[in-house]
Amino acid sequence: MLVVTNEAPIFAALSDPTRRAVLARLRSGPRSVGEIVATLPVSQSAVSQHLRVLREAGLVTDRREGTRRLYRVDLKGLTALRAYVDGFWDDVLGTFKDFAEGERS
Amino acid sequence: MTAQQTTAPVVRAVTVGRSQEDAFRLFTERIGDWWPLDRHGVYEGDTAGVFFENGEVVERSTSGESSVWAEVTGWEPPRRIAMTWHPGADPAESTLVEVDFRADAPKRTRVELVHHGWERLSERAAESRAAYDGGWTGVLGAYAELAGQA
Repeated sequence: MLVVTNEAPIFAALSDPTRRAVLARLRSGPRSVGEIVATLPVSQSAVSQHLRVLREAGLVTDRREGTRRLYRVDLKGLTALRAYVDGFWDDVLGTFKDFAEGERS
Repeated sequence: MTAQQTTAPVVRAVTVGRSQEDAFRLFTERIGDWWPLDRHGVYEGDTAGVFFENGEVVERSTSGESSVWAEVTGWEPPRRIAMTWHPGADPAESTLVEVDFRADAPKRTRVELVHHGWERLSERAAESRAAYDGGWTGVLGAYAELAGQA
């Protein structure tokens, strides 16, 4: 498990519904900007901007293939989200332990 | 981490200095007294508590709204609870949570929580989620959306 030092950019990136829609388009495989634009009611420059935010958050990577630039889901982002879920349940169960051991039966 | 590892169940555990019966009872009947609603709740500052009731886990707001987080699908006191899990989201977008209580000693119980079912979330579910706002439910949902397909 990678150590996640800062999840805030991931949360910020995922707080926008259009960005989540862009990300969802990449789950079935790599896509170019043009392919993403074709399935969304959003301009190409807006999609490019969203992809940049997603890339900076570690949720998307890009790679040039011939004349095209292809975007795909970045496992780094998934790993960070998983670490968040792990930490979420650690927090919840730790709170339960504190309560259960402090409570008189 | 590989894609397969990201979709694997999340397993977390804690050992509490209580009997199995006490641990189960406190976890369920007293959830409103221990769940960290200040950090992990749908209604945030307007919350009026969270309850196991009528086969569901329900959070209520001070203005009388309610939000079903989970439907209980397995109830085996004092050993096990199984439930769907969809705080802040539609039931169609649920993942699954199981909590096992294992007596290690008369006053020592291991509580193991398994959060799984990430693969249940389809492309359609992701599309229907367009309205929610960030926060912990959003992050869990986003993880589920991605992990379910990775």
